[in-house]
Amino acid sequence: MASRELTRKRAVPFPLYEVDLFSASPDELREMSKTMGLNLSLEELDAVKAYFKARGRLPTDVELQSIAQAWSEHCCYKSSKCFLREHIFGIKHPDVLAKGDAGVMAFDDEHAYALRVESHNHPSAIEPYGGAATGIGGIVRDVLAMGAQPIALVDPLFFGPLDLMSVPQGVKLPKYLAQGVVAGIRDYGNRIGIPTVAGGMFFDPSYTGNCLVNVGCIGFLRKDKLLNNAVRGVGDVLILVGGRTGRDGIHGVTFASAELSSRSEDESRGAVQLGDPITKEPTIHACLEVNERGLVSGIKDLGGGGLSCVVGEIALAGGCGAVVQLDKVPLKEAGLAPWEIWVSESQERMMLASPKENVESILEVFDLWDVPATVIGEVVKEQKVRLIFQGEEVFDLDLDFLTKGPEYCRPTASSNGSALRPFKEPQLPESWNSVILSTLADPNIACKDWAIMQYDHEVRASTVIKPLQGKPGLHGPADATVLKPRTDSFRGLAIAIGVNPWFTSQDPYNGGRSAVDESCRNIIAVGGRPHALTDCLNFGNPEKPERLFEFKEAVRGIGEMARDLDLAVPSGNVSFYNETAQGPALPTPTVLGVGIVEDIRKCVTTDFKVERNPVYVIGETREEMGASALYRRYGGSGGSVPAVDASALRSRMDLLLKAMSKGLIRSCHDCSDGGLAITLAEMCLGGDLGFEGDLGALGDLPTAVKLFSETNSRFVVEVELSKAGEFEALAEEQAFRIGSVGRSRMTIMDKGAAVDLKIQAMRRAWSEPLWRSLG
Amino acid sequence: MKVEEIKVCILRIEGTNCEQEAYDAFKVLGADPEKVHLKQLIGRAPRELRRDLDEYQVLMLPGGFSAGDYVRAGAIFAARMKSHLAADLENFIASGRPVLGICNGFQILVELGVLPSFDEIMSEAPQAALYTNVSGRFECRPSYLKHENHGKCVFTSLLPRGEIVTIPVAHAEGNLRFPSESEREFLMRLEENDQVVFRYVDPNGDYAGYPWCPSGAIGNIAGICNPEGNVLGMMPHPERAMFRYQHPDWTRTGGKPDAPGDGHIIFRSVLDHVSKRF
Repeated sequence: MASRELTRKRAVPFPLYEVDLFSASPDELREMSKTMGLNLSLEELDAVKAYFKARGRLPTDVELQSIAQAWSEHCCYKSSKCFLREHIFGIKHPDVLAKGDAGVMAFDDEHAYALRVESHNHPSAIEPYGGAATGIGGIVRDVLAMGAQPIALVDPLFFGPLDLMSVPQGVKLPKYLAQGVVAGIRDYGNRIGIPTVAGGMFFDPSYTGNCLVNVGCIGFLRKDKLLNNAVRGVGDVLILVGGRTGRDGIHGVTFASAELSSRSEDESRGAVQLGDPITKEPTIHACLEVNERGLVSGIKDLGGGGLSCVVGEIALAGGCGAVVQLDKVPLKEAGLAPWEIWVSESQERMMLASPKENVESILEVFDLWDVPATVIGEVVKEQKVRLIFQGEEVFDLDLDFLTKGPEYCRPTASSNGSALRPFKEPQLPESWNSVILSTLADPNIACKDWAIMQYDHEVRASTVIKPLQGKPGLHGPADATVLKPRTDSFRGLAIAIGVNPWFTSQDPYNGGRSAVDESCRNIIAVGGRPHALTDCLNFGNPEKPERLFEFKEAVRGIGEMARDLDLAVPSGNVSFYNETAQGPALPTPTVLGVGIVEDIRKCVTTDFKVERNPVYVIGETREEMGASALYRRYGGSGGSVPAVDASALRSRMDLLLKAMSKGLIRSCHDCSDGGLAITLAEMCLGGDLGFEGDLGALGDLPTAVKLFSETNSRFVVEVELSKAGEFEALAEEQAFRIGSVGRSRMTIMDKGAAVDLKIQAMRRAWSEPLWRSLG
Repeated sequence: MKVEEIKVCILRIEGTNCEQEAYDAFKVLGADPEKVHLKQLIGRAPRELRRDLDEYQVLMLPGGFSAGDYVRAGAIFAARMKSHLAADLENFIASGRPVLGICNGFQILVELGVLPSFDEIMSEAPQAALYTNVSGRFECRPSYLKHENHGKCVFTSLLPRGEIVTIPVAHAEGNLRFPSESEREFLMRLEENDQVVFRYVDPNGDYAGYPWCPSGAIGNIAGICNPEGNVLGMMPHPERAMFRYQHPDWTRTGGKPDAPGDGHIIFRSVLDHVSKRF
């Protein structure tokens, strides 16, 4: 509560304070913003002051808290909007059906899919299990609010090194965080019955104090059931459904909009919400049923800012306002102050807007599932929100003022990355064999089955290309996961993540472009045509010009790629302030790509299938070793980060999709972290079949470059032996034949150098590291 | 009766989450499934939604985390059924109509006492437990199952004995255990009564323990039926293997991707049985 001098309790039988902004000095205002947990700047408080001065009255604590939520970075994107507007918002795509809580894209004539990814970084750094679980809960609600059935979860995670044994005060061990986050996703995702099908685990010292937990969700719906997060008009009532409201999750958004510190644990524990998947699961059923029966006007999820954000937004989206009886909100415990009820981010809650005459039928549906559903307010014509608590008006704000948060075009400055990173050759051991084994065991490359097998990735029975590929027990990696969302159609959705924080750190523009390239490569590698992207942009403090520069450049790269490849970007999320006193997390633009698979029966996987089938590299290899896995592992520095030629990617996509539809290709894997050497090694694992070849076809590059360069837009394919001629005619100069599928070893020749490894040794190197670290 | 007349009750409460694919499995074979909330069977729903278990020919308890599985897996769903539906369920089973429990459904059937049910249709207390996996973890992975039943189980009547099928598992508590003092006796009775339906095996068809038996269950057991053969509980999910394209390695094994998968035969067997018997 604000300091004594500034607040005056109103004479009502519950906690309600008026805050004297008018007579406060700047210091007192700053102090008040801090003690009330508002996280508003002086300029922002001045705008608030002017608003109330014009109305000739003091604000209540409920009003001030509400403004602080609405104007937080998390809610209003005040530092990112100007860059997103320039590079992303203008991207047009005919298949975009909605850009609401989640983006919605056309799937076929009658169906659509929804997609969104967002961050739950700060809560997970404080309380990994609960933070990750409620992250899943939130993203599922975003998709549900569009009227879509959630069908898949995607979770890219970023931690400090797992073997770290000591950490700064207030920071938790990366191993503890990783175990807690995976358990949180597992216990929440598995319980609500939505498969966790893709993601990734990334490790770097910069994530030690500020882990990143990105959560994505894909949904599926009939086009005629699409909802738009809006009331239909006057005559609608607001029905709050799902969990009860409590003191958990207060100030979640303001907490997420500041840097973490060693005091965050004590000060912000209450900002982490408590998840309850067994309230969520029936809430999903009930929301979908009332939508299916056409009973609702709109649905919106209660996430950041709780009721304080959802009521205004759902009303204003329909061109209206609302009056809410705040004391009708079902509570977990008695005695919450009005402002606490209004801003609480308690989980598992959804807001339904419906015509009055449908209320009875809606309540009946929720009652069957024993899920609380309560009419708490009604829609009014005037674009205002008013709150009544025990007969007293405690809040009366114009929506135009409340929802139109500030916007900043803050300064940016290049950190001059190349000067900071002088070129230095990596110190490589004598034998390529040991480099490959060691790189396979790099935690960023090693098998993630420790996590994948704890997630139910098959519930709903539509995961037709699974996250692990190959013979049961011998699996290798998959590129994209493919879902078959309809029982009566072979059309599928390919889902994949692309992100390279190391590229982005060294070269933010090409890092952004590479993230898009990677997610597209993964989709193409299974036989999908990239269709839409959504991104979660995790960056540092935007008030620091060099951090904002990284953001601006990455966004530019992503936007350009999306335009060049005709990809829609119907949703996205920005997470700033990912830094601590020890420094920022690597700039991490996570791209979740979705592709359309025309016929899932033609899908291709990464595992080699048949001995003696010829193997090709698609796409030229260049000397682009900057920030590569090889350089990071062996002390290399500088060099150029892989660039992207979108038109080359497009023509390789056309080639591969054509060859796959003709049944020429038996296996395909994109070249990614660790370059060609690791790609080939991974292809040997799933099918337990080796490789024999010579890299002479790749031209006159150093062997290290041929093996480990991470040049974008490249693929390795295994072609059916009898169809090699047909394939080569189709591919022309895009394909370089490098060898054929072998038996039990991977043998690669180049000039005098040689790689000769047993599959068994590679499997051990790749499979064991995470199990050893995480148990 | 004709297959399309066979009504299948897919029973659920909050946290049941495999009902859609269970529904789809029966639907694709031409039967008439319906997703039914437990409250609809015990008179706690609006009149037009109320149902009577007796209207159905097959009862299916799908997988999931009913009521969160917070006490013990399946315990809360079983307790609710036992207090409100015990007599109806006993009649249903006694009439020879099939009951299938998959994953959480198997856990519920064990908690209810209808499996292994050596001496009566529904024992007062559970006679077995599906304990935490030996790995201590949720395990989602493919598994190989050997069909061990000699012909009693109505859910595998079309599957030759000794045949190996690939069906995925996804559970944290599938480790079948008996009270230690009766372990030998119970195992023997299961064998004698022809109640063992599936055992986990390795790719060569041998019993191999963890990880091929992902739970570490006693005797590598993956599924058992009651002595009459009309109640089957199994941890693996046949409804997730209705077509080849749902198999983990379908891109390498050849054949038509949309041909029936290995789980198909379980649903086909029971519909075949019901259509002949009723």
